[in-house]
Amino acid sequence: MTAPAKVWEYRTLITNLAQRDLRARYKKSVLGWLWSLINPATTLGIYTVVFGVFLGVAAPVAGNGHSKIFALYLFSALVGWNTFSGGINVAIGAFLASGGLLTRTYFPPECPIIAGSLTVLTQTTVESIILVAFMIGVGNVGWTTVLILPILLLLSLFAFGIGLIVSLLNVRYRDVAYLTALGLQILFYGTPIVYSESLVGSKHPTAAFILKLNPMTHFVGAMRRSMYLLQAPTMLNWIAMTLSALVMTSVGWWIFATKAPKFIEEI
Amino acid sequence: MTGNAITVDGVSKQFRLQIDRPHSIKEMFTRRGRDKGETHFWALRDVSLEIPEGSMYALIGHNGCGKSTLLRCIAGIYRPDEGRVTTSGRISTLLELGAGFHPDLSGRENVYLNATILGMTRKEIDKSFDDIVSFAGDKISQFIDSPVKVYSTGMYVRLGFSVAVHVHPEILIIDEVIAVGDEQFQRQCFDHLYKLRKQGTTIVVVTHGMGVVQTMCDGAAWLDHGVVQELGPAPDIAAAYVARVNEAEAAARGTTIATTPSADSFGVEYGAADEPDNGQPLKLVSVELLDADGDVIGAAVHRQKLTIRINFDATEPVANPVFGIGLFAASGMHLTGTNTQIDDVATGKVSGRGFVDFSIPAVPLTPGEYDLSVAITDEHIQHFFVREDRSWRVIVRSGGTLAPHGIMDLRGEWTVSTR
Repeated sequence: MTAPAKVWEYRTLITNLAQRDLRARYKKSVLGWLWSLINPATTLGIYTVVFGVFLGVAAPVAGNGHSKIFALYLFSALVGWNTFSGGINVAIGAFLASGGLLTRTYFPPECPIIAGSLTVLTQTTVESIILVAFMIGVGNVGWTTVLILPILLLLSLFAFGIGLIVSLLNVRYRDVAYLTALGLQILFYGTPIVYSESLVGSKHPTAAFILKLNPMTHFVGAMRRSMYLLQAPTMLNWIAMTLSALVMTSVGWWIFATKAPKFIEEI
Repeated sequence: MTGNAITVDGVSKQFRLQIDRPHSIKEMFTRRGRDKGETHFWALRDVSLEIPEGSMYALIGHNGCGKSTLLRCIAGIYRPDEGRVTTSGRISTLLELGAGFHPDLSGRENVYLNATILGMTRKEIDKSFDDIVSFAGDKISQFIDSPVKVYSTGMYVRLGFSVAVHVHPEILIIDEVIAVGDEQFQRQCFDHLYKLRKQGTTIVVVTHGMGVVQTMCDGAAWLDHGVVQELGPAPDIAAAYVARVNEAEAAARGTTIATTPSADSFGVEYGAADEPDNGQPLKLVSVELLDADGDVIGAAVHRQKLTIRINFDATEPVANPVFGIGLFAASGMHLTGTNTQIDDVATGKVSGRGFVDFSIPAVPLTPGEYDLSVAITDEHIQHFFVREDRSWRVIVRSGGTLAPHGIMDLRGEWTVSTR
């Protein structure tokens, strides 16, 4: 049986694991689910103040032709970034945390990671709804707004594929978790999130070319175009997103499926 | 391979020695030279066995002999390095207490989670939820909506066991977890296992309780250092294993006389001559078996009178010492044990040589071999003057009549009436 078919058999388990994580997440906290709003709101606030106010990074004119709101320009990109970094981090944690289970009963080891990805998707959904709500509030919506769905889906797959590999390696070398945190930090600034791609392009053509090689540039760019500028993502965006999602998911899953049984013994 | 629920064919499993492995990239460089030594060990070596459908099978052996690794290979958690494991049917595992329980979630939520891990669908769980909870006991149903972190160990095991047996497994794999529950729950578990087996469930257990092996299991495998020592009917394997353990224990005890049970040790003078003075005021001189006529005999006879005579020597007067005996099956199962205090016999003040007789009007044990223990203590059973654990082998011979199955001869009376 192929790995995906096996995983499908265990779909009830996956949803239950995801539910368990979501239920347990805010147990014993007074604010509970509000935390899933407070965290992104804080990040957004900090970046808006630092980059929008202190450093004076200006947002381009939005798709409705008159708004120029840096916070929303930033938020469109941040929702994408959070999906990506959340997906990778949750994979590392979920695989380690399920070690106890995996050595005591049999189920496909992908299950906890998929369940983790689902919890990230719920967080992404919450953030997306807020983003769309704000966009409606300022009258900046169009048909491209619905493109948020395929973009975030591809992005989740991309993160899932990387997460599979990283979580596996982390079992043998715990450095991987630290390296990943470091890598994500570098990549955050190596992706046009707090600045715009065109800003780099006009001053440093080489840097702009390197940015184009980063798949995240395309994901974040596509988010911005469809959500803020209300333009369809470019063909290059679509190709880069689809390719990176498919390649990472299949390569990651293949590596995971062949290596995980041996690695589980070491969790 | 019809008829076999599980076929283990030449399975070997190797583990890396984790200490010899660099855990970080820095160690990869600093430890390079040290990785030359043995980095792997074989947890299982060429293990082959067949477990027929609907039977109860035990894996026995000392700690670290590979029992649990074999269980995990059968359950599909570990992939064997060599050989194959073939199983037919849904497997449910109970390898550790409360595995998969999330401490912050309620018992109810955990039942659902755990049952899905074991492969049940939501609908199936809805249907058996009440059974699961009621089997686990009143206390659980009272706390079913509290987080399981407030549960006691016993409650954890109860709930875990209850879930594992209610998923209607075709193969149930249990690693020594039931031992944690109290007496009543253990009995309930075994009753349920018995019922499951009757329904055709194949059960594989790891256990140190030889009583369980002898009375409940059909087959058994004895593992030592990952290698199968013996395979066969459970009672035989249990007996062989216990014999080995006793031998090892005797070897460890070294010089003490007659720790290896043998019929010859009866009548052998104890302590008086060659034993160094151990400073106890009461010494055991010898233990003898006597028949109805008071003659010393080498073996007891089924359904005939038997007297166990304990010859002692009190070098100084001792008030109200307690004399006790214990009988064990060859497998190690404790059959009975009693003493003069339990039986309310006053021994008074003893001094000098003497003997205590324990008479059994008709030996209620079926023909076979049994081990006898003798102890002499002070009146509060606090201080042991003599403690000889399973030091004599009592052979019970057939008395010429048919003997019942098992160990006990209840000597009940049958009556047949017609209305």
